[in-house]
Amino acid sequence: MKRFLPPLIPFVAITLALEFAVRSGLVAGYLVPAPSAVFRALLDSRDELAAAMAKTSAAALIGFALSTLAGITIAVLLSSSRAIQRAFYPYAVFFQTVPVIAIAPLLVIWFGYGMKTVIAAAFIVSIFPVIANTLTGLLSTDPALRDLFRLYGASPGVTLVKLRFPAALPQILTGLRVASGLAVIGAIVGEFIGGSGLGSVVDVARTQQRVDKVFAAVLLASVLGLGLFGLINVVSAVTLRHWHASEQQ
Amino acid sequence: MNRRTFVGACSAILASCRKPSRIRLALNWKPDPQFGGFYAAPYSKHGLDVEILPGGAGTPTVQMIGAGSAEYGVISGDELVVARSRGNDVVALFAVFQNCPQGIMAHASRHLASIGDVVKEGTLAIQRGLPYARILEKKYGFDHVKVVPSPGGDISAFLRDEEFAQQCFVMSEPLQARHAGVDVTVFPVSDLGYNPYTTVLATSGAQLKGDPDHAKAVVAAVREGWRTYLNDPGSTNTRMHELNPSMDAATFAEVAEAQKPFIEQEDLGVMTADRWTTLIGQLAELGDIPQVFAAQDCFRNL
Repeated sequence: MKRFLPPLIPFVAITLALEFAVRSGLVAGYLVPAPSAVFRALLDSRDELAAAMAKTSAAALIGFALSTLAGITIAVLLSSSRAIQRAFYPYAVFFQTVPVIAIAPLLVIWFGYGMKTVIAAAFIVSIFPVIANTLTGLLSTDPALRDLFRLYGASPGVTLVKLRFPAALPQILTGLRVASGLAVIGAIVGEFIGGSGLGSVVDVARTQQRVDKVFAAVLLASVLGLGLFGLINVVSAVTLRHWHASEQQ
Repeated sequence: MNRRTFVGACSAILASCRKPSRIRLALNWKPDPQFGGFYAAPYSKHGLDVEILPGGAGTPTVQMIGAGSAEYGVISGDELVVARSRGNDVVALFAVFQNCPQGIMAHASRHLASIGDVVKEGTLAIQRGLPYARILEKKYGFDHVKVVPSPGGDISAFLRDEEFAQQCFVMSEPLQARHAGVDVTVFPVSDLGYNPYTTVLATSGAQLKGDPDHAKAVVAAVREGWRTYLNDPGSTNTRMHELNPSMDAATFAEVAEAQKPFIEQEDLGVMTADRWTTLIGQLAELGDIPQVFAAQDCFRNL
């Protein structure tokens, strides 16, 4: 209860304030929907929204998993030598700056309409924070510990698995937290162009001026983002609780 | 000069110096021929200072008018009806397109005979939320066609796939496709019996009530602008091309010519209650609005 109460207070306060603002006519309902209208839209379209949520979740999860795997692998390669890092890191930055909305029509041409395009969009926008944070983590191993490993004749592989990777975990997890939200955004942008899922629901509802339904879909998207974020927190708690200050109370 | 003429002259000079308050006119797309008359309009002659705000995909002009972030805006007839049913008091003042210029284009090589054939096979790129998309679905069903989101004005997917059909502006995408060497068949959505006014100049009920003369002046300027543009679009096209270089000058001229039959009538922009009543009935039947309401609330011919 102690953990859930603090975030619950602003939620209830904002919901009530918004409901009051719309009902009293301070804010027009066609600009910002009353929370009750959003709730009604959630109920009325529950089947459609549930199916859309399932599709978006699958695409965001796969995109996120791919960017986790690829991001960490790329970071390990980049950290292996200064020369490689200098040669390729600027291109990794490309992923951060690419405006996915602009290249989305190209994704459709490359991957066709449907899930593959959505996964690709989720992957592209979420990979950079994984690379950047993992690389920082891998490059900031305590020099004393590295010397110790060298002294005992540990191979680079063993040093990576037993020392550098575990030591980088806090940073890696920070990267994954950022990436989890971005994967959901990427999936929804992909769905605007590639079709299906919550992105498609938002697109249709917007055309019909159904702000209540737009907000209902957005709410579900944030629930999805929160879910992924929570998942990373669980992993973080399990892996870090014995040794890292951030997980020790 | 006696005293009276002196005072008269002074007040005339003052009046000419007093700057008219600036108003904003929000467009729902980039400057192109469908807005030609708005750019050609002699606003200052009518004592107006108008700032035209170009839009883009999904610019919510109807909400902008309601929220007061633009005094005037360009919207479509169906948007207006739905907005009104949701409590957004917007009123149509001038309908540029008397006939709806929207349609569906398909490859001519498919030899399709009617709009219903478009959904019998292949892929259809369409914004599913649009009323005409849902009328099409209701009438013919989407069971045999793969429906994908509309790519906006982009026709690259269309060019690559012969079985691909997409929603279009009758005088825009088909032209691009022909330029790219692809022969197309175009089915206007009015084939479905759906023909709302489009590119409609609208304002809020409050703005209209607060300053009816102002609205009158805006409509007069816009009507004059459209007459000028229909007669000779050249100089306005040059101006719009500078603002929107992505459309080349030849296309500007071609589209301006092609859109004429959709716009031209004796009194440009004038609307009828019958047309609005039909539209309101269709939107109520689709469930986009909870109940029908009086067409008179939707528009004002000034």
